[in-house]
Amino acid sequence: MAEELKNKTTGHHGEGGHDGHGKGKKAKRRHHIDASIKPGSAKYVWASISHNRGAQFGMIFIVLIIGLSLLSPYICRYEYSATDFAAMKAWPSFKHLFGTDDLGRDILSRVLYGARYTLVIGILSTVLSAILGIIMGAVAGYFGGAVDSCLMRFLDLFQAFPSLVLAMAFCAVFGTGVDKCILALGITGIPGFARLMRANILRIRNMEYIESATTINCPTWKIIARHIIPNAISPIIVEIAMSISRNGLASSSLSFLGLGVQEPKPEWGQMLASTRNYIRDFPYMVIIPGIFIVLTVLSFNLLGDAFRDALDPNLKD
Amino acid sequence: MAKTRENFFGIRHLTVKYHSGNSIIHAVNDVSLELKAGETLGLVGETGAGKTTIAKSILRILPESSVESVEGDIWFEGRQILDMNDKELQALRGKSISMIFQDPMTALNPVKTVVSQIAEGYRQHQNCSKAEANKRAIEMLEMVGIGADRAEEYPHQFSGGMKQRVVIALALACSPQLLLADEPTTALDVTIQAQVLDLIRDLRNKLGTAMILITHDLGVVAEVCDKVAVIYAGRIIEQGTLQDIYDHPTHPYTCGLFGALPDLDKDVERLSPIEGLPPDPSVIREHCDFMERCPYACGKCKKFNNHMIEMTPGHMVRCWKANEEE
Amino acid sequence: MAALVETQNLKKYFKSGAGMVHAVDDITFKIEEGETVGLVGESGCGKSTLGRTLIHLNESTDGKILFRGQDVTKLNKKEMVKFRKDVQMIFQDPYSSLDPRQTVSDIIMEPLKLDGSFSQEEIKNRTRELMDTVGIEKRLRMSYPHELDGGRRQRVGIARALALNPKFIVCDEPVSALDVSIQAQILNLLMDLQRDLGLTYLFITHDMSVVKHISNQICVMYLGQMVEVCDRKELFAYPLHPYTKALLSAIPTTDIHNRRERIILKGEIKSPINPGPGCRFASRCPYADEGCRQGVKSQEVRPGHVVVCNKAKEINQL
Repeated sequence: MAEELKNKTTGHHGEGGHDGHGKGKKAKRRHHIDASIKPGSAKYVWASISHNRGAQFGMIFIVLIIGLSLLSPYICRYEYSATDFAAMKAWPSFKHLFGTDDLGRDILSRVLYGARYTLVIGILSTVLSAILGIIMGAVAGYFGGAVDSCLMRFLDLFQAFPSLVLAMAFCAVFGTGVDKCILALGITGIPGFARLMRANILRIRNMEYIESATTINCPTWKIIARHIIPNAISPIIVEIAMSISRNGLASSSLSFLGLGVQEPKPEWGQMLASTRNYIRDFPYMVIIPGIFIVLTVLSFNLLGDAFRDALDPNLKD
Repeated sequence: MAKTRENFFGIRHLTVKYHSGNSIIHAVNDVSLELKAGETLGLVGETGAGKTTIAKSILRILPESSVESVEGDIWFEGRQILDMNDKELQALRGKSISMIFQDPMTALNPVKTVVSQIAEGYRQHQNCSKAEANKRAIEMLEMVGIGADRAEEYPHQFSGGMKQRVVIALALACSPQLLLADEPTTALDVTIQAQVLDLIRDLRNKLGTAMILITHDLGVVAEVCDKVAVIYAGRIIEQGTLQDIYDHPTHPYTCGLFGALPDLDKDVERLSPIEGLPPDPSVIREHCDFMERCPYACGKCKKFNNHMIEMTPGHMVRCWKANEEE
Repeated sequence: MAALVETQNLKKYFKSGAGMVHAVDDITFKIEEGETVGLVGESGCGKSTLGRTLIHLNESTDGKILFRGQDVTKLNKKEMVKFRKDVQMIFQDPYSSLDPRQTVSDIIMEPLKLDGSFSQEEIKNRTRELMDTVGIEKRLRMSYPHELDGGRRQRVGIARALALNPKFIVCDEPVSALDVSIQAQILNLLMDLQRDLGLTYLFITHDMSVVKHISNQICVMYLGQMVEVCDRKELFAYPLHPYTKALLSAIPTTDIHNRRERIILKGEIKSPINPGPGCRFASRCPYADEGCRQGVKSQEVRPGHVVVCNKAKEINQL
């Protein structure tokens, strides 16, 4: 009987040429990816990202800047803090590729060395806010009720101020320096992650596939681990990439304002601040660190976008 | 061409393509329709058949970012809609041609009272005072069965059926000559649907508005339409009067649709579904679109060039077997 | 024969801002083994909630649910696990009822894996068998739900529901999101499965013609209560409740020569929040009087035909 049923219901699908719409769409948008790789797998995410032009640029730039920054003491001809009074305010030349600043320090060395501050602050502060934010958001979303209200009202306190102002306030209390900067930016980033996680959990908890998992005797912890978290995590990954770029920029802003990394350490924002008086006569001093800030932020944003496309199984344009 | 131009409303060879990623979606292929003043045409088809795209092309409200090309002619009272400039279109939309959407909630502004929304729409096209527009709005609401006492309420205070009445009042406020109704009752319960269909029929008879009713429900079409066009994979595969289609369905797809419907008045042991799925819209076919699903398909169908065959005057079928079977 | 599923004065209330929503209010009915009971009503009448409460996806507020004579509301954890294997659900929305991150075979395998009593080999074979039964091609085994059309997704949902050989399946509007031609394919599949596997269905829908096609017994629901319960043929031949009559007359027909005479309802739908005593349909009923607003009783007017209406006899001249 089952056999007969099968013939009745499947016989016609066999002939090619009229596959489901979804199939067609997939072939269209992801034509460049080997069809044997299944969406959702890590391999697929990698394939999708490595085929994305923007992400290629972002990854190459990020790897390059990290590598150069780590190697900068060995590859640069000058130390980042070495002053050369003979070549103060020198325009870019073969001797100093990016020129020198008002104290005769080589801008190339400073920019490359300084990348580590921006990146370290951007990445570590994001890790801090992501971990705390995800836990708080997941707890609030899953348990709901009073727990949810308490946590969310508490986070509202943070969101009552513009995040940069809040970070400045933290810096003013904790003091300045790389670690304080990470702490300040990390704390101000918590509400963003918590809200995103909570909203995701709430959305997924009401999906019918969670109900259907209950009907097949799926234990609660398995529902959370297997059905809720995997579906909630992809926007978080995107948010992490975006947050790194945002916090990198914020670290430059704090340093520019004199609250972050201090002289003579060459943080990019701090470089902008110390040379801004020369913008008319020696614009390269400001433009070069500025370009690096822009490129770094852009790279992480492009990477974040590529992750969004690669991780979304529903192909929403 | 000249014939269409004389008519009240007509579409000739409308072809709409979207682009999606690296391929072209052929949403509407060579669709031609004609409508006389006061007539009601039912446009029937399944999800993705291109019904809504046709309606949106008429009002020129297709999403520009994803449209590849719109070709053909759309005539309204002797004027080419596809050649109109923005100003002419503004005058056309809402005044001469208006549209009712499927979801009444998204068609209304939640922060304005219903009477002010209708009055505002009216004043955009009619040169009149605020008081006059308000009076007209209340008249319209009363016409659709909403008392003046509820005119000052907000959309969220109305139930689904009542909201759809407000949308209808809004669409009819400027006495349009043509009304496009895109699944106007699909979101409503049956008893409410009956009320709304009744209302649409009454108003059409009273005001003489021509209408294109887009739906997937053959029952709804039978209730209100004079003419029917069945659309499949972006093409009209059969059109004619209500009697032509319901008494003598000819195209295998039309017959299939009737067969797939559980019938309240008859007892059938097993439904006869149309097997398979609609074809991939990104592929343009040389042969009949329905061939893969058609129970009567044969080798000759591969050579069929998708032209219409006239069965009786006005009853057109896109199947070469149409004449031979009967 | 004892009923497979039976409810006695089942109630399910939800808290809302304005008070208690009486989604399911005092419902007593039974479903015989091997039958299909159709549950019809309009949106918000509580039919979905009743289906979910019946298989204990919702905690009931009051009343009894008997499955093979055992009270479901009093089961312990172990008995509940066993109960869940016997009852399953097919969901309305084929787009949200499947986890977008699982492949077709993952979805169908999951209940088998969770059960723990099958070997790897058995799970594989059973999965293949289930895909055959519901008519999903083998090549789609590793596809994700978004790559499938609505009809195929619904087939996957049905395969998952069938995995552990359930006895009773609640079908919550399984075809309302599908196109007409696909709808007929799924209805045929469900009927074939019932015949082959001896399933019992509670078929929830708002579509009268679908319910007529598939059910043996029909229950009409209005605002949390049953208003009419009887055999399918009986209901369509002799609808007795004024609401059922209006519902039947409102269905658009494709027969353009014999139009039904239409009963257009007037009046506003009563709110399900703290509805109070009396007939809930009274606000829209053309026959309602003061007595109807005070209280209403159910009566068996014809053999096996129960109507909850004080005036059923009077209206229908019985």
